[in-house]
Amino acid sequence: MRTNWASATAIALFLSLSTSAAHAEEVTAWRLFISDHADPKVTVVDAVDGEKLDTFHLKGPASLHRSESGRTVFAVQGAAGVVTGIASGISFEDHGEHGDIDVEAPKLAGVEIAGKKPSHFVEHDGDLAAFFDGEGVARIISEKAVLEGKSDFREVKTDAPQHGVAVAYGSHVLLSEPNREKPDELPVGIRVADEAGAPIGGIHACPDLHGEASSGNILAFACATGLLVVTDGDGTPAIRHLPYADSLPDGKTTTLIGGRGLQYFLGNYGADKVVLIDPTVESDAFRLISLPTRRVHFVVDPVRAKFAYVFTEDGQLHQLDVVKGEIANSLKLTDPYSMDGHWSEPRPRVAVAGDRIVVTDPLKGVLRLVDATSFEKTGDMAVEGKPFNIVSVGGSGQTHEGE
Amino acid sequence: MSWTLKLAAVVGVITSLPIIPSVAAADNLKVVASFSIIADFAKNVGGDRVDIITLVGPNGDAHVYEPKPADAATVGSADVVLVNGLQFEGFLQRLVEASATKAPVVELTKGGEVLRNIEEEGHHEQDKAAKGGEGHAAEAEEGREEGHHHHGESDPHAWQSVHNAELYVKNIADAFCAADAAGCDTYRANAQSYGRQLEGLEAGIKAAVAEIPEDKRTIISSHDAFGYFEHEYGIKFLAPEGVSTESEASASDVAALIKQIRQDKASAIFVENVTNPRLIEQIASETGLKVGGELYSDALSDRNGPAATYLEMMRHNITTMKGAILGS
Repeated sequence: MRTNWASATAIALFLSLSTSAAHAEEVTAWRLFISDHADPKVTVVDAVDGEKLDTFHLKGPASLHRSESGRTVFAVQGAAGVVTGIASGISFEDHGEHGDIDVEAPKLAGVEIAGKKPSHFVEHDGDLAAFFDGEGVARIISEKAVLEGKSDFREVKTDAPQHGVAVAYGSHVLLSEPNREKPDELPVGIRVADEAGAPIGGIHACPDLHGEASSGNILAFACATGLLVVTDGDGTPAIRHLPYADSLPDGKTTTLIGGRGLQYFLGNYGADKVVLIDPTVESDAFRLISLPTRRVHFVVDPVRAKFAYVFTEDGQLHQLDVVKGEIANSLKLTDPYSMDGHWSEPRPRVAVAGDRIVVTDPLKGVLRLVDATSFEKTGDMAVEGKPFNIVSVGGSGQTHEGE
Repeated sequence: MSWTLKLAAVVGVITSLPIIPSVAAADNLKVVASFSIIADFAKNVGGDRVDIITLVGPNGDAHVYEPKPADAATVGSADVVLVNGLQFEGFLQRLVEASATKAPVVELTKGGEVLRNIEEEGHHEQDKAAKGGEGHAAEAEEGREEGHHHHGESDPHAWQSVHNAELYVKNIADAFCAADAAGCDTYRANAQSYGRQLEGLEAGIKAAVAEIPEDKRTIISSHDAFGYFEHEYGIKFLAPEGVSTESEASASDVAALIKQIRQDKASAIFVENVTNPRLIEQIASETGLKVGGELYSDALSDRNGPAATYLEMMRHNITTMKGAILGS
């Protein structure tokens, strides 16, 4: 009888496990975090059904950055002198065969990093570095600490206030070097420091340094002369200079983003051009693409590696084929947004949320929605105020009942 | 014909996309090989009828390769794309999607004997075999969240068995025949000729292993790339890293490995051409073993190196192993 009982128990357990496995459900969740141009707030919207999930009130108008994992969004409030961490509420767990998704309510993470004039905000391998221009100081914190609500940041100082940047690169920190002769101008290079900020080696020249991005295992800084390309070296980061090709017209990149799925960089180059950059080759590294009018904003598609998107001041969104190096499609979405006037005036920004491209239209108070597969406009979504900066987090995964 | 070839004859070459029309005889077949070892097989089968472009070249690590837009353009204009499969090329799905290629993407491990990846079980040993067809790239290449991919349940390093190399060659010949019927006789003849060289290679490896005392057949390499060699020829490999070089070994992994090395009385330790030697040098220092040389695991050497072809690679590896073990 004991054997029979044991068998029955084993069968029940098997059935229970089978039933549990059968209840695994595929879930897709995408959220949009939208800052307002005028009001100090971030609105969180469910990108799937358009429902407003929450509004977080901040200390100042914010630019937004999402972490690589998508678990956190950071609101950099330059004028208010603070960076605020927001837990997105969406996280993934890799189970090899599949990924589990966990969806909770978004919330303020309880971490604020204060300082004078926070500007560039850079993540590298889960470490986040906020640079405070007014102090010439980088404050570095791990995403893990932010999610635990701990303000465990460390400081690394440069020699002077500057419109600078820092990247926490493993056990090193890459720091912009201020222009000592003209302190109001852009940094002149990058230096490598240890975790405490002690310099290692000399300065890697990068005049007019502005703009950095990562693509795969390569980090790049944009300079007036080309790119500084950073890779893992033997003990310390390896840095080389990739000069602009002689065939390019006069110009430089000041905003850089990194390809996802394919390794490349996309930068601005003059007001009405973008440049595709392959940092792994010495020749033909740069492909210049002319736009019909001046550029407003551009992003890469993290899902469809072949495409990036550029919004231009004539109100058009352009689908850029990064393999062919040409504009594949264009779509009129908004009234014109002239690039005349101050750089920080309210103009559209672009984000990709799964199969949907979302463009803010701040003067109309709406989000313009585009199907990323067909590249056709699918609708609008109203948002109070002047929706300006936007980032998306999300994806698909399994949930398991009872867990 | 070996049993694997018989199996392959039944299963056939799997293509993820429809076969394109045969090319004109005057045009060379444009072939893209995902990494250097496959390119060498393709060169031996295709001869001067094919033009081959290799994505991950000599000494390159396909586990962590990041494809470029230029790679997508290359794949997009190919007649045939040859890949390993078994999720060896973690970049494959996104590259193929970006390329919009109409060429057949041929997984050369289809129909072969596939070893399970059991690194999760703790010792990075591959001693369990499963029949082919498990865990292929098209099934679970990437997770759905952005930019994330998973590694498979199968050990992808199937070329480390010469038996499987014969299957790769057979599958390549089939793919070339499908794309270029006019050259089929040539491809078959080339494959047959190369197959004889592979048989000779395997006999040489077995003879070399036979000269190594059985109690000296445990050695260490950087990552679990030699499971098929172990399974086929009886040399036991221990490694600090799993079947992919993407994940670094933890301190506890290394400590456990050092303990096991001492327990198993490992005879020799080797660096690999696709991995940083520092970890192996550290383990060698802590265990008193001397680094016995460089093994070529996931890529050939450059033209001037000791492993510029598959045949040279396998001969170099067994010669290096045997020399270090018997000299220890």
